Amino acid sequence: MPTEADENENVNWRSDSDVSADVTRGERFAELFEERIRKPAIVAWADRRTRIGLLILGVYLGMALIAVFDLYRAPSTNQATQLAGPFQSWDYPLGTTMSGVDLLSLIIHSTPDILLMIIAGSVWATGVAVLVGTLAGYKGGAVDRVLMSVSDVVMAIPGLPLVIILAVTFNPKNPIILGILININYWAGLGRSLRSQVLTIREDSYVEASRTMGVSTPRILQKDIIPNLMPYVTVNFVFAARYVVFASIGLFFLGVLPYSAQNWGVTLNYAYSGGALFTWEAAHWLIFPMIAIMGLSLGLILLGQGMDRVFNPRVRTRLAESSESTKTKTDAAMTEDH
Amino acid sequence: MTTTSERLHRSNDAVEDPILEVKNASVTFDGGETYVLDDVTFSIERNEILGVVGESGSGKSMLASALLDAIPAPGHLSGEVLYHPDQHTTVDILEFTDDELMEYRWADVSMVFQGAMSSFNPTMKVGAHFQDTLKAHNESVPDGMAFAREILSDLYLDPERVLDSYPHELSGGMQQRALIALSLLLEPEVLVMDEPTAALDLLMQRSILLLLEDIKEKYDVTMVFITHDLPLVASLADRMAVMYAFELVEAGPRDQIIGESAHPYTRALLNSTPNIDAPLEEMQPIPGKSPAPVNVPSGCSYADRCPLATETCTQDAPSFDQVEDGHTVACHHWQRARDEINLSFAGADETGRSTGGERR
Amino acid sequence: MGHYYLRRTARMFVTVFLVASLSFGLIRLLPGGPFSLLRANLLRQGVPASEVDARIANLQNIRPDAPLWEQYLDYMLAAGQGDFGTSIALGEPVSRIIAQAVPWTVFIVLVSTVLIFVFGVLLGAIQAYWEGSRFDQLVSGVSVTLMSIPFYVVAVLALFVFAYQFGWFPTAGTVGVGVETGVSMAFFTSALHHAALPIFSYTITGIGGQALAMRGNSIQVLGNDYVEVARLRGLSDRRIATRYVARNAILPLYTGFLLLLGFRLGGTVILEQIFSYPGLGYYMWSALESNDYPLMMGTFLVITVALVIGVYIADLTYGMIDPRISRGDTDAY
Repeated sequence: MPTEADENENVNWRSDSDVSADVTRGERFAELFEERIRKPAIVAWADRRTRIGLLILGVYLGMALIAVFDLYRAPSTNQATQLAGPFQSWDYPLGTTMSGVDLLSLIIHSTPDILLMIIAGSVWATGVAVLVGTLAGYKGGAVDRVLMSVSDVVMAIPGLPLVIILAVTFNPKNPIILGILININYWAGLGRSLRSQVLTIREDSYVEASRTMGVSTPRILQKDIIPNLMPYVTVNFVFAARYVVFASIGLFFLGVLPYSAQNWGVTLNYAYSGGALFTWEAAHWLIFPMIAIMGLSLGLILLGQGMDRVFNPRVRTRLAESSESTKTKTDAAMTEDH
Repeated sequence: MTTTSERLHRSNDAVEDPILEVKNASVTFDGGETYVLDDVTFSIERNEILGVVGESGSGKSMLASALLDAIPAPGHLSGEVLYHPDQHTTVDILEFTDDELMEYRWADVSMVFQGAMSSFNPTMKVGAHFQDTLKAHNESVPDGMAFAREILSDLYLDPERVLDSYPHELSGGMQQRALIALSLLLEPEVLVMDEPTAALDLLMQRSILLLLEDIKEKYDVTMVFITHDLPLVASLADRMAVMYAFELVEAGPRDQIIGESAHPYTRALLNSTPNIDAPLEEMQPIPGKSPAPVNVPSGCSYADRCPLATETCTQDAPSFDQVEDGHTVACHHWQRARDEINLSFAGADETGRSTGGERR
Repeated sequence: MGHYYLRRTARMFVTVFLVASLSFGLIRLLPGGPFSLLRANLLRQGVPASEVDARIANLQNIRPDAPLWEQYLDYMLAAGQGDFGTSIALGEPVSRIIAQAVPWTVFIVLVSTVLIFVFGVLLGAIQAYWEGSRFDQLVSGVSVTLMSIPFYVVAVLALFVFAYQFGWFPTAGTVGVGVETGVSMAFFTSALHHAALPIFSYTITGIGGQALAMRGNSIQVLGNDYVEVARLRGLSDRRIATRYVARNAILPLYTGFLLLLGFRLGGTVILEQIFSYPGLGYYMWSALESNDYPLMMGTFLVITVALVIGVYIADLTYGMIDPRISRGDTDAY
């Protein structure tokens, strides 16, 4: 059936505005900001967990800044009487260790290194995972097989023991290198789950459209696929950070990682071997670093949970409990029954 | 928002033996401030096919759920939904206890949803769904499954193959038919179908419609067919009802609604049906948008899109008038509507009136 | 399909082989040669140097002065036949040490991981059922708090409070000193007594994560149409909760469970150190401290194999529990 092309020439397909407005770069950025940053931020902030998480993390950031700008004295031995109890004086609010080091100062000055380490570790883990996962998942075929075989091998190397060996061998002092080291094979597991997600996404029509149009693979990955992964990636970024905290401190505690700077784990180690286990008097030496560790993890977890909520609203339908019959009423009075 | 006392609902709609009567049904999600179903009253004749037509967001799915008292929380349904199992009995399902409701649903009134794929448990075989339903209603499983096989064959499905498959292994059309079979399993009196063919291609839509006619004859069910696709249901329905902005605006026999409709919206809807032969300029969409629940205007809800709207229309909500026996309409100017709005779809003659609507 | 299974199994062996080789190389990275300690000791005892070399070679299946690739070949060939050499520090065949240690570690890891899942899934499901209630909020809060505590912190605290301070639990060992190994009541009770604190610390912090995941999945499943249709069909709450909700909500957690088993095996390095519990992790650590290559390789291999098998089983069986997934490779784009 022929379409009447001639008669359709008068039909204006475009929208009513005759001038197609060129969007300025400024407007584009404004829109980008609005959609990608401001709106999710509002939703995230609305969730109590994100708020608390951010608050907690803010405290740690504050501590790091204090340390960097030297607003509180650095830890050293014999700053006060040895093994003094907590909450006794403003000089050493959290007490001191067996060598007389101010505990609060210890905790504060460990913070910047730890934060650096965490960020390095999570960036490494999620970055590599995204790269590997999206390439393998999208390309499929041989690329997929090779990448997955590699990641299988990497995943199968026992994580903690591997880190221990590398740490003992190379003795890294730089917190960034340390962070990457700790998470050195974390990306493999994450890459695998990202790959499964990509497998689903790539079947969507818009990806097919891009492919048909001849868009290059990197661009497809960047524009079509990765934005859909961002929720999952953000949440896992936080979890990777949490893992760095746990692993690093555990390893410091074991004595594996070098004692470059003071560190909560190191403090724990000293406390443990210094006999804090055996008496209640030295308990604060053990407990306050623990609280510092827990606080940081808590902040990270809450943030992760809150962001998960942002991207993944879980809607649940339930049938109404009761419906009201107006058979015996002449005028239906709307009474709230719930 | 007009209160119920200002409107006349129960005009003569010529239903002699109703199996379901809905009276003043209203659904609100926020305690009475806005309504997604606004004071709807109509009846369903025993053994008829009733077509309910409306745009997306007109409240028709709420209507379907109301018939099973299955409004999702936090919605609140009020009004009356009267069920007449036979000519002499009447029960208001909104007053049912939980147990009575459980017996009523699926065994007396059953429902088919749009999107059959999502109505099945993806990790269970289709046959297991049937068995679950039979067991839940304490029916004999072997008898029930034999009956299921019969229904499936009537729907042109291979019973063994379908029962033994997982939902994702069936095509869209097969899934929909399997869902129809599941809803007929307990031999309900009424089958409510909410857009059952919307997700299917045109050929499959047509064939399922034909199947539904056969099913209705053989299994003696009353059908309520809810859709946005007016031409689709026009070939099937005995009576039709039109919904707009959460209210019922017109109801009557099929021929009347198609050929002699009295509501401007119905007529505009008929005119907007795309005709593949007509050139582009002759397409007549209805300008404007249907209102959201918070924005329903006082007075007639169609007034701001209606070519016949006058001052009265924006101030007073119309009540139901009788056009002809069994044909009711809620419009202030329905007489003018018939004269002034020409019907221009295939089958209409030059006077702008239909010569009888689409025939099967 | 059989073709795919064959390939997958072959891949498993290849992976183990590759990881073993990698571990071999990695271990040799460690500062100080493998036998430096032993050599120093022997020399100090006055053993002539040539004999030291011979003794070490005997211990090892490796000739310590041979080029690396020869050492590698020797080791791999022997390992393939089940001979993992002798531990330098402990003087016993590695296979014997590992055979003794592995059951204890497997016991702890298996029990704790299973407990995590059982409690996590149950809690998560109940939370989803009563979503928004006080119970739900309370459990969520507790879960998040517990999740932020590293297990070793709990371990140290538990050791401190329950073992040292209160003396309710032993502070070291897998069974009491002097308790005979064997199938006896005394043995079982002693073993449980010693494993209680490790299992407790390894479990309590992990439940929260699974509960939260199960809760999230369940809520998502509850929002699906088929749950509502099931309710309309008249199915009992119990049937819906188990076959329609839980069954679909657990699916994503399944793979995680198997992987978790593997990963937590590695975590025992820290756990067993704290409790002086001579299992796999404990020996791995002591091997590290003394540069005991054979023992290190042995423990590494065990964990690697466990992980690889875990992934393998997960891959192969997931298709069985989720009918929507078909196995096989993916198309190339």
